[in-house]
Parts: sequence; structure tokens; C-alpha cells
Amino acid sequence: MVDMIKQHPLIILSPVKKDMLETLDKRLHVIREKLQGGTETEFKKVPTLHYGRFVILNRDSFRDEPTVPVGTRLIFSTNFDGDKENHLTELVTHLEKYIDDIYECCEDYPEAGSRTTESRKTYLKKYSIKTSAFFNGAPGRSVQQIHKEASLRDHIWSYINKNKWNGTTTAVEIHRAIRNEIDSKSEFEWSKQKAEVQGIKWLNLIAYGLLLIAALPLVIIGALYLFLFHELWNKKQTLTLSQLDDRKVNKLKEVEDLFPQNQFTQVAVLKPNFIRRLNFQIWMLRTRVLANNVFVHGKLLNIPTIHFARWVLFDKNRHVLFFSNFDGNWQQYLGDFIDQSGWGLTGIFSNTVNFPKTKFMITGGAYDEEHFLAWSRSTQVPTQVWYCPYPHLSIKNINNNTKIRNELRMDLNEEQAKAFLKRF
Amino acid sequence: MTPLELSDIQAYLFKDYKEMGSSKYYLLQIKNARAAKEFLASIADDITHANASVNETSINIGFTSKGLIALGYNNEENMHSFSREFREGMVSAHRQRLLGDFDSSDPSKWQWGGPNNEQIDIMLMVFGKNESVAENYFHRLKQKFEPGLSVVHILDGRPLPKDREHFGFRDGISQPVIKGSNTTPAGNNDDINAGEFVLGYKNEYDVYPDAPLLKVAQGNSRLLPNNPGGYEDNSGKPFKDIGRNGTYFVLRQLEQNVNGYWSFIKKQTIDTNGNPNNQEATKIAAKMMGRWPSGAPLVLDPDKDPGGDSDENSFSYRSKDPEGEKCPFGSHIRRMNPRDQFEESPESVSLKLTRRHRIIRRVRSYGEDFIGSAENHKPNGEVGLLFGCFNANISKQFEFIQYTWANSPKFKRLYDDPDPIIGVRECPATGVKQNFTIPQSTVNRVIPNMQSFVTVKGGAYFFFPSVSAIKFLSTI
Repeated sequence: MVDMIKQHPLIILSPVKKDMLETLDKRLHVIREKLQGGTETEFKKVPTLHYGRFVILNRDSFRDEPTVPVGTRLIFSTNFDGDKENHLTELVTHLEKYIDDIYECCEDYPEAGSRTTESRKTYLKKYSIKTSAFFNGAPGRSVQQIHKEASLRDHIWSYINKNKWNGTTTAVEIHRAIRNEIDSKSEFEWSKQKAEVQGIKWLNLIAYGLLLIAALPLVIIGALYLFLFHELWNKKQTLTLSQLDDRKVNKLKEVEDLFPQNQFTQVAVLKPNFIRRLNFQIWMLRTRVLANNVFVHGKLLNIPTIHFARWVLFDKNRHVLFFSNFDGNWQQYLGDFIDQSGWGLTGIFSNTVNFPKTKFMITGGAYDEEHFLAWSRSTQVPTQVWYCPYPHLSIKNINNNTKIRNELRMDLNEEQAKAFLKRF
Repeated sequence: MTPLELSDIQAYLFKDYKEMGSSKYYLLQIKNARAAKEFLASIADDITHANASVNETSINIGFTSKGLIALGYNNEENMHSFSREFREGMVSAHRQRLLGDFDSSDPSKWQWGGPNNEQIDIMLMVFGKNESVAENYFHRLKQKFEPGLSVVHILDGRPLPKDREHFGFRDGISQPVIKGSNTTPAGNNDDINAGEFVLGYKNEYDVYPDAPLLKVAQGNSRLLPNNPGGYEDNSGKPFKDIGRNGTYFVLRQLEQNVNGYWSFIKKQTIDTNGNPNNQEATKIAAKMMGRWPSGAPLVLDPDKDPGGDSDENSFSYRSKDPEGEKCPFGSHIRRMNPRDQFEESPESVSLKLTRRHRIIRRVRSYGEDFIGSAENHKPNGEVGLLFGCFNANISKQFEFIQYTWANSPKFKRLYDDPDPIIGVRECPATGVKQNFTIPQSTVNRVIPNMQSFVTVKGGAYFFFPSVSAIKFLSTI
């Protein structure tokens, strides 16, 4: 068994030099054009990089009044394999030109003469901030593994379809023939090792459940308090999708649906009181527990299309960023959120200002479809650069490919072998 | 449940008018707004509403967003409260990606509704018992509208011959029933809350769909009802609702390459002597559709077409066909209405989610009355469908279905399988595969290199107002 390589979030938030904003915007635009035209060649040189995005965040990015002053900042975020030091080294060496071009436009970046691998890394580390909750749709799958397993699946798919199978051949025989075929190819030698897949961690889950039961009186009192002193007084939201600013929506749509996958970047302002901030932290804790222990098979809150997602509290915990990389398009994605997990979103985002009115954090909120969709779209921020190394693989494909690899090595009975063949 | 105000809703939403031999859609342009409004005032009471008894003729009317502006509904705030999809129309860079209108289907090549075609403002839909009745009625109308409107394009539709589209399949079997209408309930998951199809009523999320409101006073607003959603101006006065009892209508002209379609499928069945097998070809075609030519669903009749005409629609997938061995996951009807097996959701969730993405189809055929088959697949001249559908939210319904369920190759557990009938790209990007997978008990059968046999020749989004909103529009 190979050791599982863990995936982590990286996020760097650095102030942009006032007079360089336009230059930065242009430089990012050039990269974006290349990515959209399929001619970008640099990002894939970073072996540990899953997704990467650059976002310019300024006062205009906030739909609602920020509660602490905000300047113009650049967000750089990645989802990466393994060790952070190693990932940073890879970034500043393989993407040296990008990093220099982009961060030249930011405050405090080392001057041209004093740029070294170390000084660049020190800069990135200095401005990196913590992620509050992180979801990974295929835990343990490194970029390399995802690519290798996809090529294994493609090879088997072609092999199956190339052969004329006699009507009497059993699934077990076909499974064995496939294994022989793969064994005869040295490039698939690696597939002999079973891939470790994270399971649901029941013990942690039970511990969490017990904790929740123990805290139940507190939870009820908290919910009552929130209802009486906050929710009841929240304003009813009336904004609908049609009302949103056309220019803003069109800017978002400009970079959507270019690939079978899409990105979502959102910034919201926490309600300016202690109990709401505390409640948000509790929901982050809950999300962390669930994401690490339960949502480990490719579904976040039952949504089967998310590769990576994260929540980031910043600006002294007063503002929150939400990032997601998902299959399909915006309408489907937001619809899934309402349909499958409106409660989760409502619990988390009801602590931000001008979220659709809720009751006991259960009804209203995300279930108020029209106003929730308008809230989502209007708090969304355009993403300047977005990179994905496997745009043609859905998260379901990625998880299925790992199962193909592992089941190939197992001794299957006829039923199991049939189920294996159904994976193609 | 709020009862529907049927006398205020245009009838085409409820009635398919299959008994009408001729359906002519006149695409009109406004030459003189004042005269156009006079025309609207003169016909408002003749617009066929859902309670009207229909004898020989019927008319309904729709407006594009450009048409509303040309008519004088040009206050920016008022126009802005229409849905973004309707305001933008069917042609935009982003929408082209969503709908997959590329190559031969590129809007720049359309015969109407595209950027190189004349502007369309109004669509007058004239139905007649037969061709000459419809023509006569139209000529009477034309005398009235000529001072204000000119004809840009005519779409000449007929009911599908024997209810079959040109590839040869019985069509229009699965259709939602609007709750609160006087139609007999389907008694299954086809009974849908009115707000999915009519503005001003609650939808399947139990909220009112985003609807156009009169934000700034214009015309005789007393003709309009107050909005039911509780939206009001700064002084606490509710906004008038121009949308209530109206809906949106999507129209696309889809040319069908019947010969290409059957030739491609027959090629998959060629034996060692080079001969195609028509029976086998029909089966593959049925696998792609999910129903046999007769309309019988594969889930119930997996092996052969029982023949005759079937309107069978009470079936589900979860228990009868969980692996898609009868009706492939990639087949057209399993994508367009996933019933009780929406992705990996449990049954009750699946049924609920499916209800949130339905459309009411209104389809007409054009060209020769031709029903294709493996034996006979060469029609004379161009044939196709005038595909129409009603929905209260174009993005959540029509566009969602076209993009997420038809064009996306990742539907359910698939990798590279777009909808075999309406989702295949003519010229896919380099390296992009397009397959059709037929699940079988041991090894799945795959048909690679799928080809596109449907070409979009025109299209537009229309606002389909209530009778009172038509009267109101004549007063702006």
C-alpha cells in the first residue's frame, strides 16, 4: 500500500501597490487569456498543484459595507499535495516568472536584486493566512495519482471496447483478462499497489455526536437567544436575480462555462456582533469535523460535484471568503446547495449581513430560493486567473478511477466483477 | 393552493392544439409603436385564454425583450425587472456556451433570431383547424396590424404526424400537469406547482418565481394586479405585477438530419458481409431515445417494440432499472426526466429535484410529414421541429436541462457521453470524446464518435403575457 498524500489549502493575501493595480490586472489578464485559449504551459510544471486562482479583492468586491477598512489586495490560493515547504519551493521555482511579475505589483515583495528562492518563499509565507474549513472531494489523491489513474481507466476502456467478447465470457474472466493486459504493460506497474482511500472515521464522529448531545442544552439556549435577539430583527431581503447589476453579472459569466468545471469565489461580511461571530466559528468547527471525518467520499453535504472548497475568515475574523472548484455550472451548483444542503449553508452564512432572513437557522435562508440565489450572485467576486490540471475529469470520475485501480487487483466474484465492469 | 386565473392566462400553456391542423408563428417587427399598441388593444379580447372555447381558430402572442422596448415599455427599471435570460435573449457569448450553439448551429448562421437577422419584436401564433382557415384568419389580422407591424419571418408548423417526430419516435408523452388548472391530475410526479410555469404563483421551492414588476408608473397600471411576493416601493405601496398569469416561452427551430441519423446508426450494425441489420439499428436508436418508436418505454419493454402507439408514462427507474441495462443512463428521456433516480439522491429527493427542472413542451413539425425508420429515412427537403417550451425560470428550467442534463457529458456516472439526440457537438474540441454507452450485463457496449444530427436554425425567448398585461401594454 502506498502512503496517502494529504491535500492542503494555501492562501496568500497581500496588499497591492496603488499605482500597480492596472499593471497587475493586465498581467493576470494575459495569463487568463492563455488558460482559456489552451496555450498556458507554466502551471502544470508544478507537480503538487491541483487548483490555483488569483483574485483581486478591493472595496468594490464587497457587496456589503466592510466592518474593518479594506485596501486593494491580491488573493493567491492553491490546493496542493503534501508538504507546504516543498509546494512553496515548487511555486517560486517553476512559476518564478509569474510570481515575480505578479508580486512586483504588491507591497513588500523583494526587490529585483534580492530575489532568491528563499526570499520569495519568505514573502509568500509572511502573507499567507489560515483556512478555517477545507473540503477535498478525493482525499489522498495527488495530482500525479489522478492523472495516472485516469490513464489506467482510459487504457482499460479502450481494451474492453477493442475486444469482441464472446457472449459466454463471464465477468470474472473479463476482469482477469483486463488484469493480464495491465500486467503486460510496464507503464502501469504502479497500479499493482493498492491506493489507500480514507474511510469515514466513525470514532471521531461518535465523539463529536456525544459532544453535541452534551452541549444540547447550550445549543438550544443559543438558538433561542439568536432567534429572539437577532433573527427576529433581521431585515427581510428582497433582492432577486433580475435586479443585480448587469455589468457585474456579465463579468462573472465571461469566465464561466469555458470548461466542464467552474470556480466560485465569494466574499461576505460577518454580522458585527460577538454572538454571530461565535456562531460562525462553531459552524466552521462543525464543518471541519464533518469534512475531515464524514465527507470523505466525494460529496460535500451530499453535493456530488465539488473537487475542493474552503472557507477563510480574515480581516480580524470580520470577513469571510468562500472558494469552490466544481463540476457543472453556476445554476446547477447553487441549486444543489439549496436542494441537498440548504441547512448547512444557512447555518454558516446566516451569520453574514444581508443573508436572506432565517428562523432558528433552519428555515428561510438558503431555502428562500429567489433571494438566496441573488445573495450568492451578488456576493460573488470575479476570479482573474483560474487553473485546473484536470478540467475534463469530474470528481465522480476521479473517485471512480481509484476504485477501478483497486478493484482490478481484487479477486472478485461474478457479481462483483459485473459491478467492476459497470464502472466503464 | 391558489386557483389559477385561467381566463387571464393564454391557452397555449395548457392546450397543445394537436387537433388544429395548422400552426403558424408570425415573427413580426414593430414599425410604428402607436399603431402596434392599437392593434394589441383591438385583439386583446380575442386572445385565446385557457377558459375560452376554441372552435376553428386560436391566437396567442409573445414578445421579445427588444419588442417590449420598441413598443414603448422602455423604462430601464421596469425592463430590468424581467429575468436576465429574457432580457439578453437567446444569443449571447455565454449563452452560446450553455446551449452549445456552435458550428452549423452558430447563431450567426441562423435564419431568424440571430445577430445577422432582422430584429423580432412580437410573435403572433395563429392556429387553425386547417391551413386555409389559419391563413384566412391571419389575413384578417394582418389588415389590422399592418399599420404598426411587418412580417419578418413565418414559421409554418403542423402537429407531428401521428404524434411522431421525424426520426420516427412518438413524442410529447411525458408532460407536466400544472396544479390548480382544470386539467386532470396525472397522479404522479408530473403534477407540478403552478409557479414553475406561471408567474405569480408559488413554485416547487414554495416561493414566488422572480417576476417583472412595474417599478416606475407607466400606462394604465390599474389593469395590473399587485404582486403577490410583497415587494413594495419606499412608501409601502405594493408594485404592480406585469408578470402575473404570464410566463416565458422558448422557441428553437431544430433541423433534423433524418438520413444522417439512421445511416449512422445502421453503420453500427453492419455484419461481416457489409449488410446493416434494421432490427438491430432500431434497437440502438431506441436505446438512444429511451423509448421505442411506438413510444413504449424501454424500462417496461426492454427487448422489443410492442408496436402500436403507446402513451405509457407511469414508470420509474430505481427499482426497475437501477443499472441502466434496459434504459441507458445516457439516453435522451432518462436525462430529460430522471424521475426517481436523480444522480445519487434517494427516491423522495430525486422526485423533488426532478420537479424543479421541468418544462412544458409545445412542439410542431415542419417540412414534409415524414416519419423516419431504419427502412425509410430519406425525406424530401428539410425537415425538423419547431421546439417550444414554457417555463417560469428560463435559467433553472430550459437552460439547465440543455446544459446540465443534455450537453454535459458527465451526467450521472458517465465520462464522455453527451445526450445522443440533442447534446452532441458537431466539431468537438481536440481530444474530446463523444460516446454513447449502452450498459449491458457484463461488458457495456459503446458507440464511439457520436455525430450531431440536429442543427439549430433559429431561436428566441419570448415573454408570454397575461391577457390583462396585453391590455396594459396597449396603454403604455
